[in-house]
Amino acid sequence: MTNLPREAQPDAALEERIVSTLVATGLVRHRRVWPLWLAAAAVLVLAFGVTMLWPKHARAYGKTYAVLLYEDSTYRPAPAGHDAERVAVIARWADSLDAVGRFERAGRLRGPGPLGGLIIIRAADDADAARVAASCPFSKWGGRVEVKRFE
Amino acid sequence: MTDDRALVERFLRGRGEAAFRALYRAHTPALYALALRLTGGDPGEAEDLVQESWVRALTALRTFRAQSSLRSWLCGVLVNVRRGRIRADWRIIDAPDVEPLTDPTCPEDVIDLERAVAALPEGARDVYVLHDVHGYTHREIAGLLGIVEGTSKSQLNRARFLLRISLL
Repeated sequence: MTNLPREAQPDAALEERIVSTLVATGLVRHRRVWPLWLAAAAVLVLAFGVTMLWPKHARAYGKTYAVLLYEDSTYRPAPAGHDAERVAVIARWADSLDAVGRFERAGRLRGPGPLGGLIIIRAADDADAARVAASCPFSKWGGRVEVKRFE
Repeated sequence: MTDDRALVERFLRGRGEAAFRALYRAHTPALYALALRLTGGDPGEAEDLVQESWVRALTALRTFRAQSSLRSWLCGVLVNVRRGRIRADWRIIDAPDVEPLTDPTCPEDVIDLERAVAALPEGARDVYVLHDVHGYTHREIAGLLGIVEGTSKSQLNRARFLLRISLL
């Protein structure tokens, strides 16, 4: 057999040109197809996260409660221009609850009546919910904090 | 062969780009070398030929059976693509001039041999490249080119004779 080289390297741009053509014609898929083992690993990691991390809080704090903040006659409003500071204090407390899976959402309630805020938390039981509600910094400004089971 | 089968199966599972690139990088150098010789050393024509060959090959890849090597199968696709092109446009047959060799042992003479091969008449060149460079048998060449084995042998003899003359 003639000893001429049986291989030759084409211009590198040819590969991109051919891949583009094949993708355009649908003969090759552009998106990355995960190998089966990688997809399986991803499912396992997700399952681990769901069963070992988030549900830990769900199991520990399996019930939902509403913490109601009343700005009644005992409540001492913030000095003019300092509302944002109080909101920030409540937000930091909510963040600390969120870090351990106890916080769901919160909002300020507008309209007539003393009910000024609502915080939805998770707790193990009524006593646990009462402890969490008692730790709310709102109470240091007077007013009244109530906690009720939320379903 | 086993690697080829694995590459083909990997590609057919999802037709993914990464799997195709693996196939491309494994076999394109051989396809391009063959295309260069069949086109008389025209890089642009050879690249077009390789591109069309990959399109045809991927269209028919499910029909590939590992009885032959994937490289042989792909080269067969390329030969057939080129034959179709020749039928469609006879004007592409255009070989460059030949410079005779004086010393066939130095690398420069290898380049001259390439030129001499490129200058062979088309039919003789195809058989010579497939048989003497890429190792196809006359039976395989006959199948690829749609000729009888006797024609393949006579074209090979003709090619070798012309090369001897041009290399004097």
